[in-house]
Amino acid sequence: MNRPVFLKYWHVPERLCSVAFRRWSRSFSCVSTPVISEAGSGGGHYIGRIEGMTNQEKLDLLKEKAKKVEAGGGEKAIAKLHASGRLTARERLALLFDEGSFVELYKFVEHRCTNFGMGTKESPGEGVVTGYGTVNGRTVFSYAQDFGVMGGSLGEMHATKIVKCLEQATKTGCPVVGMNDSGGARIHEGIDALAGYGKIFYKNTMASGVIPQICAIMGPSAGGAVYSPALMDFVYMVKKDYSQMFITGPVVVKSVTGEEVSAVELGGAITHNQKSGNSHFVADSDEDCIGQIKQLLSYLPSSHNERPPVIACDDPVDRREEKLNTIVPESSKRPYDMKKLIRMVVDNGEIYESQALFATNMITCFARMDGSTVGIIANQPLSMAGCLDIDASDKAARFIRCCDCFNVPLLTFVDVPGYLPGINQEFGGIIRHGAKLLYAYPEATVPKITIVTRKAYGGAYLGMCNNEAGADMVIAWPTAEIAVMGADGAADIIFRTESADVKQQMKDEYIEEFATPYRAASHALIEQVIEPRETRPTIISALKMLENKEEERPYKKHGNIPL
Amino acid sequence: MSVEISAPMPGSIVGILVKVGDEVKENDELITLEAMKMENPIFAPSDGMVKEIRVKEKDSVEAGQLLIVME
Repeated sequence: MNRPVFLKYWHVPERLCSVAFRRWSRSFSCVSTPVISEAGSGGGHYIGRIEGMTNQEKLDLLKEKAKKVEAGGGEKAIAKLHASGRLTARERLALLFDEGSFVELYKFVEHRCTNFGMGTKESPGEGVVTGYGTVNGRTVFSYAQDFGVMGGSLGEMHATKIVKCLEQATKTGCPVVGMNDSGGARIHEGIDALAGYGKIFYKNTMASGVIPQICAIMGPSAGGAVYSPALMDFVYMVKKDYSQMFITGPVVVKSVTGEEVSAVELGGAITHNQKSGNSHFVADSDEDCIGQIKQLLSYLPSSHNERPPVIACDDPVDRREEKLNTIVPESSKRPYDMKKLIRMVVDNGEIYESQALFATNMITCFARMDGSTVGIIANQPLSMAGCLDIDASDKAARFIRCCDCFNVPLLTFVDVPGYLPGINQEFGGIIRHGAKLLYAYPEATVPKITIVTRKAYGGAYLGMCNNEAGADMVIAWPTAEIAVMGADGAADIIFRTESADVKQQMKDEYIEEFATPYRAASHALIEQVIEPRETRPTIISALKMLENKEEERPYKKHGNIPL
Repeated sequence: MSVEISAPMPGSIVGILVKVGDEVKENDELITLEAMKMENPIFAPSDGMVKEIRVKEKDSVEAGQLLIVME
């Protein structure tokens, strides 16, 4: 089987220079001025007569047409949007891009539908504004649906604009930001609208792992419309009534199941960030949402061919945080705040948390170490003892794979007591969901550094990037307990026939022997045992050492992750 | 409006740190739930007053079982 060949557009080896390519390159020599001929005939749309016009009239016509599209749904529609607290598509794009950098594409696209009175109906810009520009100097593509034009409904040509935007972003290796605000499929167009969604899903899938795909739900998103966001890497929702996502809305839910629920309860920002895990970030307003998207972009490379941007770091790389030496409580039964611990280690205490409200027993966040992006996965002892369960495994596995796609090194902080027991967990498929974690870590080829702060027990430790899961560096604190299971349980099993006194004595011995990092260290199962205050310099040194790490994988089409 | 606080996972109640009528602040520890060999703090989700306590010390609780009602 041939491996895929990736070509940079400026470099085509002679042996790959096919006949088709040579023909394509020759064609440049015969390009002549485009000829605009007869116009103004089809579908009830006014295209404008070009023949017989002076150049000035042609310029005026361009301006007039552009102005019409830029006006969107008109003053009334815009006022209505503003009244509901949201911005227009163009206002959102203006906030996203560096001033004056936005270049609009496919501005004059029009629908081709003639059914149900659509033949005479105009839809300026087809209800979606697309193009590219720069965000903090880096090229980004974006599309913003315009609720003011036919409710932002998605028809054949509306979808075509989004598809072309995704195609160009993928081809050029630039991130894409979608801002969704749409009433759904334009049903006048029937199957063509449906096909439009299908084409977008296909392009989202093709772009997955190539460029970062970010989606903001800044209006309703129902039915098929929810699946493009779901296929993208990160989903934002705004904590306002207009930001909604569901497969079937409250009316259908009530008619089918009798359950009464409001649209916001069913599919609002808090629901999807807290309960379903469908959304990764929650914003207070459109402005906050776009600001956060820019922040996220700053952590990510433009494509899988690049490394994440490095920024100047004013936090000393050799900063030793004394408080880390005492952050783990004396009693191993007491929790502590892992997020606080992480903040003490990373540059300037800054983290950007993904899915902060969902499966809070697992932390997933971006941060920087010496100015370079890292993806952090950590157990949170403060929430459900930091155990692994279905949602935590699902959340972490997805984050790990996303970091690996985009060359973001992984830092894993471990304090895990085990998997959550229970009928719901077993019936819900903790075996296959937990396996996602066991799969995602070995699959990842980016540098992987693991810090064991306390409990690292049994199968749960295997799920938190230990040496055997492919960690390049496992660093343990002296408080680490790396063992097959907790001392109490183990002593109960091994010494079950002994008297209570003997049992207690054996338990103490077991704790001394196994509830430490030294057994693992003596068997070369971890690389270092360090004073906790040394954590930051140790990680930064390890990241530097691993900078040019290469890890081969056997060629395959793709693996078969347990989904 | 009353706020219901339930057990996030199965375990046993090893400490009740408030009594009915107490005014509490957001993130105050209300109950300690031993589970997964850890003493897990159950925090107040918001400021308010403790209206009802539905469990007592040493009770075993199921995931989702109602522990406290706040107002």
